[in-house]
Formats: sequence, C-alpha cells, structure tokens
Amino acid sequence: MISRRTLLRGAGIGALVVAVPVPALAAEGLVPNVFVRLDDAGRITATVPRPDTGQGVRTVVALMVAEELAVEAGDVALEQAHGDTERFGSQAVANSTSVRQLATPIRTAAATARCLLVTAAARRWRVPVAECVAKDGAVCHPRRGKLPYRALVRAAAALDPATVPVELTPPEKWRLLGKTRGGRVDARDVVTGRTGYGIDARPPGGLVAVVARPPWIGAVPDTVDDTATRALPGVLDVLTLTAPAEGQGGVAVIARSTHQALRGRDALRITWRGGTPTADSRAWLADLRSALPAQSPIDGVQQIYSMPLLAHAPMEPMNATAHVRPDGLTIWAPTQDPGGLRTQLARQLGVPATSVRVETTASGGAFGRRIEPDPVLEAVACSRRAGAPVQVLWTRADDMRNDSYRPMSVHRLSAEIGSDGVPIRRAHEVVTWPLTVLPFFANPALIKASGDHFPYTVPGDVSVIVRPAPLRTGFWRSVYAGQFVYAEENFLSEIGRRSGLDQVALRRSLLPAGSRLHKVLDTVAEQARWTRPPAPGTSRGVACLEDYGSAIAVIAVAEPESRRVLRVHAAVDVGVALHPSGVRAQVEGCVIDALSTVLGAQITVREGGVAESSFGDYRWARIGQTPDIDVTIVPSNAPLGGLGELAYPPAAAAIASAIAGDTPVTSMPFGTAVG
Amino acid sequence: MARYLLRVNGERREVDVDGDTPLLWVLRDELGLTGVKYGCGVGLCGACTSHVDGAAARPCVRTAADSAQTRITTIEGLSRDGDHPVQRAWRELDVAQCGYCQPGQVMAAAALLARDPDPDDAAIEEALRDNVCRCGSYPRIRDAVRRASRIMREER
Repeated sequence: MISRRTLLRGAGIGALVVAVPVPALAAEGLVPNVFVRLDDAGRITATVPRPDTGQGVRTVVALMVAEELAVEAGDVALEQAHGDTERFGSQAVANSTSVRQLATPIRTAAATARCLLVTAAARRWRVPVAECVAKDGAVCHPRRGKLPYRALVRAAAALDPATVPVELTPPEKWRLLGKTRGGRVDARDVVTGRTGYGIDARPPGGLVAVVARPPWIGAVPDTVDDTATRALPGVLDVLTLTAPAEGQGGVAVIARSTHQALRGRDALRITWRGGTPTADSRAWLADLRSALPAQSPIDGVQQIYSMPLLAHAPMEPMNATAHVRPDGLTIWAPTQDPGGLRTQLARQLGVPATSVRVETTASGGAFGRRIEPDPVLEAVACSRRAGAPVQVLWTRADDMRNDSYRPMSVHRLSAEIGSDGVPIRRAHEVVTWPLTVLPFFANPALIKASGDHFPYTVPGDVSVIVRPAPLRTGFWRSVYAGQFVYAEENFLSEIGRRSGLDQVALRRSLLPAGSRLHKVLDTVAEQARWTRPPAPGTSRGVACLEDYGSAIAVIAVAEPESRRVLRVHAAVDVGVALHPSGVRAQVEGCVIDALSTVLGAQITVREGGVAESSFGDYRWARIGQTPDIDVTIVPSNAPLGGLGELAYPPAAAAIASAIAGDTPVTSMPFGTAVG
Repeated sequence: MARYLLRVNGERREVDVDGDTPLLWVLRDELGLTGVKYGCGVGLCGACTSHVDGAAARPCVRTAADSAQTRITTIEGLSRDGDHPVQRAWRELDVAQCGYCQPGQVMAAAALLARDPDPDDAAIEEALRDNVCRCGSYPRIRDAVRRASRIMREER
C-alpha cells in the first residue's frame, strides 16, 4: 500500500474521476492535478499535464494508465492539458523532469481507479477483494465470471477511496511498461500528417502575421514606411512591436494568408537605430579568453577549450496563435510550459488567469527554446490590434537569427599529474555568459551547479566568471553541462593519452567501486569490445555523465582521417525504463545533436547579426553522417531517472575524442575556428 | 490573383491566388492540407516533401502557377488508411520523436521506393540527404526504409 491523499469527485453522474496531487506541490495544499477518468461507458481518458515536444511523455502516460487499469495503451484516450498550474501543478517541460515527476501521481491515480472498480465488483459478488482481478477492461472472478468496467463505474464512484487500499502494479507484473513492444501512441497521426502542431492552429477567421526583425542585435525601428505594404492585396495592418512586452520587437504585417504577410514584410521600408551593428562573435570569444585570470591555480598540464554559440532550430519554427477578445484570450502554442505561460500572460495583461486559456498543441521539437513566451507575446499584440485570431509565424531565418542561444564559453583546465600518470588535483576555470531569458541565471553558483558534474575522484576546484551576454541566451538541451562536460572529458582523455593510459581503465580507476557509473562504463566497454585493439585507421573516445538522476557512459568509434563517426555505443542507467524504445530514442537524438555540434554546426555573428539563416549554413547532421547507435539499458534498482538531456554532453565529448585521434581537442566544433 | 486548377490527392481543386504563391502555402492555407509542413521555405530541410507527378518535390520552392496541371500527392493522400508500407514501417520501428519532419521523410521514402524498390544504404542516404530531422531519428529512418522495402517485397 502507498500513502496518499486522494480526491475522488464525480464529474457528471456516474463518472469516476481520480485526481492525485503531484508530490512536489503537496506542501502548497491539496492541489489535484492529474486526472484519470472513466465515463459511464467505461471509456478511460487520461489528461497529459505536460506538453509532448517529442520526448514521448504522452506515450508514457498512456502506458502507465493502461498498465494500472489492465487495458492496452490504445484503450486510453489522451487529452492534452491546457495551461492551469492550479489544477495540474508545474507543467514545464524542463530539466528532464516530466516522467520523473508524473510517474507516481499518474500511476497512483490509475491504480486507485482500478482498486475502486475491483472493490465494487467484489462487493456486488459478495466475495473477497483478493479473489478478484482486473483484466482486459473488466474485473474477473474465477467462479463469478466477469464484469466490464462500464458496469462498475457508478458503484466505484460511490465508494470512499479512503477505505480502499491502493497498490501499484509491481514491475515484475508489468505487461506494458518496461517492454520493448509498442511505439508512440501518436505514431499513426504523425505518419498521416494529422498531428496538430502550433503552426496548424487556424481558428475560424484567423489571420497570419510575420514580423520584420532587427537586422542587427538590439536594433529598434526608427522610421517605418509601410505605404507599399499596405497597398498589397491581403495586407490588413502594420504595427510596431515593442520589446519586451510585445516579444523581441519589430514591425508586424498582418494579412489574410501567410504568403501575403511575407510579401507585405518584403515591401516594408524600415530604418533601424541603436543596438550593436558591429558586433562580431570572434571578438566575443577573445573577450571571454581575456577574462581568464592571468595564472591558473595549478601549475601542471593545461588546455583551453572554446565553445560556440548554438541555436535550437527546432523543425517547427517559432509560432503562436492568439485570439484576444473583450472577455479574455485564447492562445494556441507549441509551448514547453502552458501553465507558466498562462500565469505570465495574466500578470502581464492585468487580467484574471481564469480569462486566459492556453491550448497546448503538439510541438515540432523544442530543446529548451519553447520555455520562452516571445512568439506568444507577439501574437497577443497582433490579435489585439486586429480584433481577430492571429498566428505569428517566424520564418526559418527569423528563428535562427532571433533565438536564445547557448552561450559561448571558454574553459581552462589544469591538472597536477601523479607519478602513475593519473591526475591527482584539478582546476576548471570557466568564463561564460548568463542565460538572459532567466535573469537569476547570472549567478555563478547556479551556472556551476548546472554544468559541473565531474564524477571522478580527483579533488579540485571549479570557478565561474560571468561576463555580460551580448545577445539573448537561453536553455539549450543539457544547459551548461554541454560545455563543462565536453571540456572535462576531453581534458581527461588528453591526460590519458599523454600518460599512455587506457581511457576506460583510467576512468574506472577514478570512479567509486560499485557506483552506477562504474557499471555503465563496464557495460559499454563490453558492448564496444573495448579490450580488442581498434581497427586500423579508427580511433575511440569515451565519456561518462551522472545527472538528472541517471547515469550513462558512451564510447564513440571514428575514422579521424575522414572525420567519419562509425559507431556510438551507450550504456544507460535510468533507474526504471518505462518505455525502452523512448529511452533509446532520447539517447539517439542526443548522439545526433553531439555529432552535429562536434562536426560543424555553430552560430556566428558578423556585422551585428547572426550569419546563419537555415539548414544550409547551420550544418546539422544528415542521414548519411549517421553512425550506428547501440544503446544498452542497464538493469537498475535506482529510482526513476531523467533522460532527455543526459546523453548529449558525454556523446559530444566521446565523439570529439574519437575524431581527434592523437590530436588534442580544443574546441567545439572540433578543428574549426569558433565564433 | 488568378484561378489555378490543381490536381491534389486525386481531386481537382481550384484556388484563387497570386501565381507566385509558393505551392506550400497554397496547400496549407488554401486547401487546409496542413500535413505538408513548413520548415525552411527555401528547399533545404525537406519538411514539406510531397509528390509532384510521382516524384519527390519541395512545394516550398514551386509556385501555384508551376503546379497547374501537375499531379500532386501530399501526405494526406499517400494512402487511404495510413497503411502504406512506409507508414507501417515507420510505426513498427517507432521512428518519430516530435514527428514534425516525418511527413516529409515518409513522402521522400515512398518516392524512393516507387522508383527503386530495393535501395541500398547509399541510395537511401542520397534520397533522404536533404530531409533534416532535428530530433535525430535518422538511424530509425534508415532501418524503416529497409523495412518498408521488405514489406513491399513480401506483399508483391
């Protein structure tokens, strides 16, 4: 039995609605937020409180509910929750927490429903509860036969849940969770084009807006001549947007169709003022380097690493649709945080939260970018002006040039090496920028906490110097760990190479015996047949990370000559893998991110503006560059861990080490000028 | 503005747009075929990949005027029931993450298999080279194209 506070309410006659508070919010009072509902016909509906940005949370919710209610995943109808933190708790998809924070409340909600149904059947049959089991949407008894859920819903809803013990289905009895069969619940919609993303939201009477955005960082419109624009067919209005209340600022063209809005934008004549028209990312890197203290704390082996700007570039460009009415507003957005967005809009517009409806659409990737509200603020301003629903669409170039970028950084690593060639003391000095989208992220201690996960038993210090950010910066998958771990693991590899040590043995010797990392490192070494020498012309890299409550070790195999990555092996301990295919998918995705950023994708700034505009010059990996990726899920007794961001930092480090061969890695991308 | 007669997913559809309107926006804004995804607008990402006269094409770099009298198939028209071998293979191998690029990937793969029923890895990589997946589903896409090829062979 589990301890719980359960709310049971009938929503409509005979309906069984089970709500359980998310533990993180319980301290704030009884806040029911996760719903599993059975209607009179026995149909099961689950509400997914957090957005699915591709990480698969909808599938995991369906599997959890189906498991506990003894049905198939396809028998659970899913409703995507609108923004409402009072009902659903935090709805932010961030820091790889969705499944970790939802598993207990959702499984408990579904198990409560099952236990109530079983109890109702036992009472009707006048048999002990222990003799009844739920199976295939019915409660069964060896002699009494079976009663479908629909015949039990009313009786179950009338029970006092406090009198009914609730037990979660133990893992050894799982039929669905932890199994390899079964894919995404939304897969059929995806491959038939039916999934509704933010860009597909078109409320009746809806208009489209595109925004002329600053040609260099920080510029604001000085003069706007919209005569030609307003003369074009389909163009309805032009308005100047002021940052930050109306997004990032610019001049919006509202039209009947997307093409008309785009043509209207082309015809604008705008002069811009302010900002930094001569900014250059090479100078920014030089500034970061010059901010390193003159002396490293350790006089020993030393290396400096330079890290680039990175854009999120989700496949679905930024967009949002708003309908501002006299009595309130409705938003349709591919957001990572519908609840937070609703709260922010209500506060900013000075209206009650109850008048703000945020509909969560499917999201064509996010990677940290969609935690920010700027496209929504633009849509609100445009809809208010137009008096109609307006979708603000960002073009690919808008998206790439007005992102909240992963910050540049410079890392100086130093180590004192013992007589056996192993580091015995270390120092890691970081100079970087804050995350401007969340002002408190300028705190060096917070940056250190985000980035520093050094798992090896080498004493030392990590120090962070924060320089002012010259452009918008934000949360990019793995946040600062992406930079820190890349520098640390490549430095350790360089030490190992200089000392002539085996890279796996070196790490093994520096990890506590019996640790999760020890186990995943041993597993991945076996997968990669590490003890056999690498094939001629190939080179290998290894890296580890424990974070988000999970542990991973990665080995990459590459041909330094051709810079081709052949294979990436990963062993991961996520505690409990609820949806193994989804676990592998997250690791595979991180590996492709790692490959892309090590092989050449970076954002540069020239003459004040971002130079890259699309997938032609932001060189994301393509199918032909894809290595074989071999993921082992290591059995574990650890609690459920997070996964969305775990594999990126060590995969990047391992891939860079493998491609580098005998040369030291000093930058991301490898072997390319940064900035 | 002018009237154009398009043949989309087996139906004749008339639209009243400027001739230079990209086919992408005709399909999405005028005909409501939102399975055709906007990703870059300049033919670089493949999210809008559809079939024009049976071959993979990018509606974002074709115009309404170009498209009159051509035979256009979008993801919505690939199969009646979502059970084209490529769509089945995509589901079997659990390819999609966010799914946004997948209609384009599926259409590119279907066009490849229509002209080369048994493509080798090089042919798969060539046909899908300019279909970007930002979630990194490439290993599964590669396997799913092979799987779709097998399904088609088994059912011939």
